[in-house]
Formats: sequence, C-alpha cells, structure tokens
Amino acid sequence: MSATGEVLLPATRNALSLLLLAMADDELVIGFSDSEWTGIAPILEEDVAISSLAQDELGHAQALYRLLAELLVDGRDADAIAYDRPPEGYYHARLLDHHRGDWADTIVRRYLYDTADSVRLEALANSSWEPLAELVAKIRREERYHLMHAGAWFERLASTPGEPRARLLDALERMSADAGTVLTELPTELALEMAGIVDAPSRELEARWRTSLAPVFARLDLPRLPPTRDVATARTSHSDAFRELHAGFTSVRRIDPEATW
Amino acid sequence: MGPGNDPRTNGGGVTADGAGLEPWEVFRQEKEGDPMRHGGSVMAPDAELAVHYAREMYGRRQESVRLWVVRRADIHDLDDSDLLQPPLDRSFKKPGGYVMRDKLATARERSGQTKPKARSK
Repeated sequence: MSATGEVLLPATRNALSLLLLAMADDELVIGFSDSEWTGIAPILEEDVAISSLAQDELGHAQALYRLLAELLVDGRDADAIAYDRPPEGYYHARLLDHHRGDWADTIVRRYLYDTADSVRLEALANSSWEPLAELVAKIRREERYHLMHAGAWFERLASTPGEPRARLLDALERMSADAGTVLTELPTELALEMAGIVDAPSRELEARWRTSLAPVFARLDLPRLPPTRDVATARTSHSDAFRELHAGFTSVRRIDPEATW
Repeated sequence: MGPGNDPRTNGGGVTADGAGLEPWEVFRQEKEGDPMRHGGSVMAPDAELAVHYAREMYGRRQESVRLWVVRRADIHDLDDSDLLQPPLDRSFKKPGGYVMRDKLATARERSGQTKPKARSK
C-alpha cells in the first residue's frame, strides 16, 4: 500500500490523520485502562475475558497507528506515534480520561464507548478511502463481541438491585456528561465528509447513538444521558488520571525507545 | 458412584459456590465435520456469561469453529460398574468374540475351495 495517501488532497489528508489519531488513541487508552484488571478481576474467567478485550483494543490501535504512519510518512512508525508523545499530545475522548475505578466504572465506560464506537465504525464501513474501509470491516467483526460482553454486564448490573445497581448509577453519574465526547465533532471533519470518507457528520452520528441508547436506558429505568459538557475540550486537556496511565504505559518504552523486541 | 471420581466435580475442586458461580462444560469442534470434543470447563453465573467465557478460553485463538456449552448439573452421569463393567464374561457381545478364521478354513476344505488370493494392488 505505498500509495496510501498519495491520492488525497492535503486538506483531506490532514482531516483523515486527525480521525485516525482520535480513533487509535481511543482504542489505546481504553485498552490500557482495561488491562489494569489483568490479575485482579474478581474471577479467573472474567480476568481472561477483560484482558483479552483489552488486547483486542491494543491490536486495533496498532493497526490504526500503522495506517496513520503510512499516511503521515514523517519518519515515525506506529510505536513512535503511540508512545513518544507527552500526555497533552494525545487525542482520545474525555470519556476515557476517567480513572479505571471499580468494575461498574469499567463496564459503564466500556458500554458507552463500545456503543458510540460501533456507530462511528458503521459510518466508516463504506469509506471512500479503501485502506480504512478494509480495516474497519475487520475491527467491526471483533467489536461485535465486545459489544455483547459490555451489554451483558451493563444489563446485569443495572437490573440487579442493591450494590450492583447503586455502583452502576454512581459510575453513570461520573461519566455520562462525557459519554458523547467519542462522537464530538472533529475540527476538520467537513473535509472527510466531502471526500466520502465518513457517511455523515459527527452531529448526525451522535444523534444516531443517543437514539439507539434511549430505549435501553428507558427499559432499565436509568437517567437519560445529559448533553456533552465542555465540547470544545472533548479530546484535549486531559486529566491527572490519564497522566498516571500515560506514565505507566510509556514507562518501558522510555527506558530505551530504540530497543528491538 | 465413587465420590470424588466423578469428573464433573473433580475439575480442580470447582463446584457451585456461594458467589452464584457454577461449572459449565465446554465442547469444541476444531474444524467443520470434526466431532465435538470435551475441551474443559468454565465457572459462570449463567449461560450468557458461560458462553462468553467459553469463547475466551476455547475460541479466542481461532482454535474452534463451534462450541457447545452445557451446565454441568444438566449432565446425567452414569459410572455404575454393575451397569458398565459387569463381572461375567461378555466377550460374545463383542464382534471380536467370534474367531472366523478356523471356521472359514473348515468350510473351504469341505467345499473344496482354496483360499482366495490377496487382492493385487
């Protein structure tokens, strides 16, 4: 795929880079957050399951960073893009900026993210930029399972009275105003729409996502998701929780960035 | 049934426990047309999560094309040796119990036939 970005107009290429960075950073950050359960999940089976999901997300991030590296051709490979930025340089959604928290936090974050991500992926399924359409087709097949897993846990926590539901409600309260950040408009996205890379503007995707969640929330008697707070910084100005996570996931890389594995 | 010898309750000491978990047996098919073979077990509170966990334990490396997940408690166990290993000679129930070679040789001799040659390749 040597001609990955050659056919694109500069404005389209810039916009595409930003989209790939947003998606890759989302997958990297949620992958690393969820990987913190490895070894400490309440039962062995769930430990394996959540760790395997986390690995999948890191795999998706890697594939997206590779596409981005081919597009940018700025001398950085996927690892350099993934690990060699300061925390402020990351472009993930604020929903993923929260501390790992308890199991309910993890499930709420996963559920809100996976449902939004599936709407985003669907909008890219027929992308005019073939390398992305091909990758998205593969990612979507894996995300189907992620959605089933998150949905199963979300439903059972929400419908089990007492501590499970109470913790779920707490987690929702912490995160719901940030839930929409996954689909908040990217500053350059008009170019993506004009080039047929996405099939609808973020506004429309966010509406689709909210519409799909409304009946689930109504059935489980959960409070409606509020509008996104502080839209302007949806993917910038990260939290201390993220800075801690970043310090962790870059720690080995920083010892020797040139090391071969 | 000898207590402790039932493989359904002997999987590393796992039994239904206080946390609402119970064992589920997982059978896997490696490729289309293969028989379903027992793969192992998972602990889960219900069928939905049991299927998820079976997928993670026995399917995430693309080693299976189909899984069957069965609640261990739903399996009817039979290991009664009076029924399965009766003490008297039952060799006449096995096809190997009939030794045909001598009978065939006698019959051939009587009818004057010779033994057919081995089929040439």
